[in-house]
Amino acid sequence: MISAEIPSTPSAPATPSVPPVLPVPSVPPVPSVPSVPSVPSVPGVPSGTATRVVLADDAPLFRDALAELLHRDGCEVVAQAGDADGLLEAVERHRPDIAVVDIRMPPTQRLEGLRAALLLRQRHPGTGTLLLSQHLEVAHLDELIGRSARGVGYLLKERVTGPDFLDAVRRVAADGCAFDPEIVPMLVGAGARNRRDELAHLSPRERQVLALMAQGRSNAAIAAALHLTNRTVETHVRNIFVRLTLPDETEHNRRVLAVLTYLRSS
Amino acid sequence: MGSAARGPYGVPLLAAAGAVFGAMVLAVSAGGRDGGTTTTLFSGMVGGLYLLTGSVVHLRRPGRLGLRMVTVGIAWFAEDLQVSTEPVPHTAGLFLRSVASACLVHLLLAFPEGSLRAPVERALMGSLFLFVLVAVPAGVPFYQSVTPNLLFVANHGQLQDEVIDGVQVVVAVVVGLLLIRRWVVATPPARRVLAPVYGVGLVGTAASLAHPALSGEDAQLVNDVAHLATLGLPLAFLAGALRVRLGRTAVGDLLLALPQGPPEDLRDLLARALGDPTLRIAYPSPFTATTSPNAPHADSAAYPTSAAHSTSAAHSTSAAHSTSSAHATTSAHGASDDDADGYVDAEGMPVVLRLADVVTPVRRGTRVVAVLLHDPALRADRHVLRAVTAAAALELDNQRLAAEARARLAEVRASRVRIVAAADEQRRRIERDLHDGAQQQLVTTALLLRLARDRLGPAPPDPDLVALLGRVADGLDASLRDLRELARGIHPAVLTEAGLLPALRALAARGPYPVRVVDGPALPPLPARVAATAYFVAAEAVTNAAKHAQASVVHIHVRVTGGRLLVTVADDGVGGAEQRAGTGLLGLRDRVAALDGALAVHSAPGAGTSVHAELPLPVEPSGEAESLTPVDAPGHDEPSLPTSLPPEGP
Repeated sequence: MISAEIPSTPSAPATPSVPPVLPVPSVPPVPSVPSVPSVPSVPGVPSGTATRVVLADDAPLFRDALAELLHRDGCEVVAQAGDADGLLEAVERHRPDIAVVDIRMPPTQRLEGLRAALLLRQRHPGTGTLLLSQHLEVAHLDELIGRSARGVGYLLKERVTGPDFLDAVRRVAADGCAFDPEIVPMLVGAGARNRRDELAHLSPRERQVLALMAQGRSNAAIAAALHLTNRTVETHVRNIFVRLTLPDETEHNRRVLAVLTYLRSS
Repeated sequence: MGSAARGPYGVPLLAAAGAVFGAMVLAVSAGGRDGGTTTTLFSGMVGGLYLLTGSVVHLRRPGRLGLRMVTVGIAWFAEDLQVSTEPVPHTAGLFLRSVASACLVHLLLAFPEGSLRAPVERALMGSLFLFVLVAVPAGVPFYQSVTPNLLFVANHGQLQDEVIDGVQVVVAVVVGLLLIRRWVVATPPARRVLAPVYGVGLVGTAASLAHPALSGEDAQLVNDVAHLATLGLPLAFLAGALRVRLGRTAVGDLLLALPQGPPEDLRDLLARALGDPTLRIAYPSPFTATTSPNAPHADSAAYPTSAAHSTSAAHSTSAAHSTSSAHATTSAHGASDDDADGYVDAEGMPVVLRLADVVTPVRRGTRVVAVLLHDPALRADRHVLRAVTAAAALELDNQRLAAEARARLAEVRASRVRIVAAADEQRRRIERDLHDGAQQQLVTTALLLRLARDRLGPAPPDPDLVALLGRVADGLDASLRDLRELARGIHPAVLTEAGLLPALRALAARGPYPVRVVDGPALPPLPARVAATAYFVAAEAVTNAAKHAQASVVHIHVRVTGGRLLVTVADDGVGGAEQRAGTGLLGLRDRVAALDGALAVHSAPGAGTSVHAELPLPVEPSGEAESLTPVDAPGHDEPSLPTSLPPEGP
């Protein structure tokens, strides 16, 4: 079961394509590049240091496969739940680093996961919440984030097959945030059409940086993703904040919150 | 009162037998007559007249009335037995000395229907018959008369006479009061029927009361008047009974002569003609098989059927009629189970039968064109009812057709609403099925594929295999994206999850060019079908604008005002969309109309296009607003129920 191989990001030409982050055709898609692992992903590490995960999804097959994926990445899946009540119970008992939650669960198959996630974020601020959904809605994102972008994530469910998923899990588990690349253009479209011109003033590189920021990446991760130095990224970030007249912040989830707030505001 | 009376000739036969009996009685009692009071001729004429008129009444109007009259005639002769000087007939006559009075009271109270109506009448008659058939005969051994009483034991005759006189007074007073009351409550047609009997009876009573106080020629005159009144009473009964028939044609003429007005006029007309202000007219529903509420009859006769009882019960005695209403109110349900949905009113709305309603079908030919819902008491005037229904059949048939048309229209409207609701529900279900089925399985498959690819490790034995698997993964991703768009197009989940405004914002956000949602104050909770219709109108308009308008921006305005949801989608494009207003908008026009709304498209060339939908909101939107309430949980998303959507802010 446990293989000695370290899961690696596929370097094969068949890199899953990520849609353009910002609706500017001239910008090439953000290349999918291995993120800088903030937690060493070694299988079989002692449970004290491994990321402890609770999974909630009503499809056992998917849950098992996801558990295996996380396990092979060195996470410890401490519990699985098929519904919101089970999820809340499991989190209460195990106090995991992160709960990965499907938005639709029994009994109504509507927003049980979102409601449970809101409860989790309220009751267990130390536990990150990563919400998975088969479609993204700005309205749900607003609900989920509330006043803090710490320890929260919102991804399309199919991202579990992508190279960035495990990185997103670790980020959210470490009190960071992770948002689906597709949500950013929706945010722009939903609330800030009138700011599109301002966004257009950013250079293509800055737009790339902003897109990655909006996903919750750290400066280091952005640097690695774009093959830049940390200092260059920091400069880009400062420039973005200045051009968008946003206050400079160092902590990355605050930045994301600021970006999201900016994008949502009209 | 045998069952023989039911046949057409039973009553005349009984009358013939009574005539023979009367002749015998007159023969045996002739010797005992006191010429000053009743002559054999007078007695025979009175009894014979009752037998004769009773037979005539029965032949002209089958029912119990004729039987009651013949019974009075026979009882009249039976009373005469006591006049006989022969001991045997005299003693037999003593047993029957008061039966004629009791039968006459019965006839009076039962006139003209032949049946008693009120409980107090039945109670009175029960006591009276008990008295004359049990108490009086029991006193025979204690009554000494001139002619030898064969059963004589001891004489308490004076006491008996006093008791009988007392009972007579009491009964006379009660009967008088009942008759007065009946006159007071009677409708004009009913008074016409009662008038001869009341007139003759009044004269006779006055004469009888006045006689003892007079003397000489006056007394003789008054006595003659009293005798004539006694003779005239059976004729008065006959006249009254025949007047029912006359009244019936009069009602018919009246109806036919009247102009045909609105349905209410006809109802008032019939209600007045039948003396039942609660009468209602209903029409067989065009949606149920035209089953006759009664067994088919060859002619267009009307036979009432009780709503609360079976057909046989409807034809039972008057005792059952009078109790039917009280009985029906205590029996929880009975009337409307089977046939409540079988009738509609003039507006085409379903008619709910009251428990006490009697249903009288009105036929043209064999077809039931309408039914009269009326009080059970009306059944007594069956002949009037028959005449009225026959006369009104044509007009009722016209109104039935009108009611049918209205009912069909209402049904079509309702069915259109149902179709919209069903279509919405179907879209929701397909979206959910896609989500829980294909989408879920594809995601799981893609994940399993990833696990498999990871197993291959950094140095795969076959690079071609890796490339192949990569293409499979890409294919799965593309399928998932397509499915997601397909599901969203079928029914955006956010519409039910978060409401109209978030759904419109999501619609705007996905557009390939600028779409702005402009909303006023927060929207109140919207019924699911209204929200869905508004959304689909906006989506269709946005799509059209993207295809044809060459606009730089599209605005979606949403607001609620005056109990209506207004949605306007306006672009600044080339306009001229009326001609090519696609089938998409056409379908939406039907959909909007189904909700009693309106859809307008303005698209002058060069002036942009605006699509404007107005959707009325239910007066009282149910449900409360809560930010994260799923709009309609399964089991609660009945399409007909307004489902609450959360309030939508900016």
